[in-house]
Amino acid sequence: MPLSPKVLIVDDEERFRTTLGKLLTVKGLQVDNVGSAREALALLGENNYDVILLDVKMPEMSGVEALAEIKKINSGIEVIILTGHASVDVAMEIMKLGGYDYLLKPCPVEELLAKIETAYDRKREREGRGPKL
Amino acid sequence: MKIRGGQPRGRRLQLGVRGRDGGAISALNINRTGAPMSGSEPLDRAASSLVPPTGGKTRAKDSFDPIRHQLLTGAILLATTIVALFSSGAVLAVCGAALAAVHWLSGRRWARAIEKAREEKRFLDEQLIQSQKLAAIGELSAGIGHEINNPIAIIGQEAEWMRHLLQEEPGKTEEISDSLREIVRQVERCRDITQKLLNFARKMEPVFQGVDVNRLVDDMAKLVEKEAKLRSIRVIRIFQSDLPALFTDPPLLRQVVLNLLNNAMHAVGEKGAITITTSASGRDFVNIVVSDTGCGIPKENLGRIFDPFFTTKPQGQGTGLGLSMCHGIMDRLGGRISVSSEVGKGSSFSLALPADK
Repeated sequence: MPLSPKVLIVDDEERFRTTLGKLLTVKGLQVDNVGSAREALALLGENNYDVILLDVKMPEMSGVEALAEIKKINSGIEVIILTGHASVDVAMEIMKLGGYDYLLKPCPVEELLAKIETAYDRKREREGRGPKL
Repeated sequence: MKIRGGQPRGRRLQLGVRGRDGGAISALNINRTGAPMSGSEPLDRAASSLVPPTGGKTRAKDSFDPIRHQLLTGAILLATTIVALFSSGAVLAVCGAALAAVHWLSGRRWARAIEKAREEKRFLDEQLIQSQKLAAIGELSAGIGHEINNPIAIIGQEAEWMRHLLQEEPGKTEEISDSLREIVRQVERCRDITQKLLNFARKMEPVFQGVDVNRLVDDMAKLVEKEAKLRSIRVIRIFQSDLPALFTDPPLLRQVVLNLLNNAMHAVGEKGAITITTSASGRDFVNIVVSDTGCGIPKENLGRIFDPFFTTKPQGQGTGLGLSMCHGIMDRLGGRISVSSEVGKGSSFSLALPADK
């Protein structure tokens, strides 16, 4: 049985997160999506996500702030930042906070999928379970 | 005592002071950039030795006493940006005073040095404006990038989803139609942004004509009134009847007033009041004030609300261009826009337009 990563999409653009969710689901991933960082943090306690796809520019709490909180709750989760805004400063901050990668919107689903899989492998390796074959 | 003009030597200016007997009392060798930072101590020492011998012919002091006082109690620095440095450490931009000092020193070289300094200042000012423009363009592009990339990302995903449906589940025509509708919606969103930007960038010359301000404002109020009624928002008009004549561009002014009214509606949400006031400040300015009892603007945002792309609205609901366009229009009309606000109590936007005299 192939192992599939459990993914959480956090983006305030509803159509973006729902369609991305459908696209990743048909690729065999388990996907949840929420519209704000707060909702995401609330979900972390009861779910063990492998990878979180996180938007940067959101009302109330930005993705960068959320990243720090996520790492506090569970440092093992890999976080990929998805943003429409390219900025070296933000990228640097994300890496410093332990973000795994940084992708610029718009990006093809295949590219995102590849990143999710590498992030997932890395997480499994670290947990001593070896990469997915 | 005779104060002799110094020579601009490269990036340094030298002020030479000679006593009545012709002997040098002191010399200040002032580095253009270093001097203001060097502290007052060395200058104080130099200044004390500047005090003229008593009984000397100091006719000049009668005509330029304050400057002489400054020169003798502190020190004066005629650097390329023309500032005066006093013993207290205060730095003062003194084009006028410096010029007076030049007369007092009656050295033509000083005058030339100052003229050169002014030229350099003009050049630096221009450079500063250019760099500020570049910074603004940089900020603007980042904003455009972000605002356009989001809808494009959605369009891309909808296209990928349609491709999946057509290949794997071709029966789901309603879902395919839904994706198509979404693509059209997002293209409209992009177009809205580019359209606003083009309007923003266009250098349309305003067409000035006589305007009945009260009527123009009333027309705009009527546009929002219907919606206001549905949301229990009272629209209160306080119009001054004898406003001075105003020559301005009516469509542009309408755009600004309507934008402020829409913002006020948004800030109030439901149940509240919007007050529109027209008045005159003497015969010079006509004022239009739009106040609301809405949510107000936090202090930390007040300085940014006129910046392009600054918005606190959720994604897709505001481009952050409205108030920056209002600001741009008011500039073009020769007027001003200002804001005061208190969180929880409401905001007040004031327009001031020069009256026709």
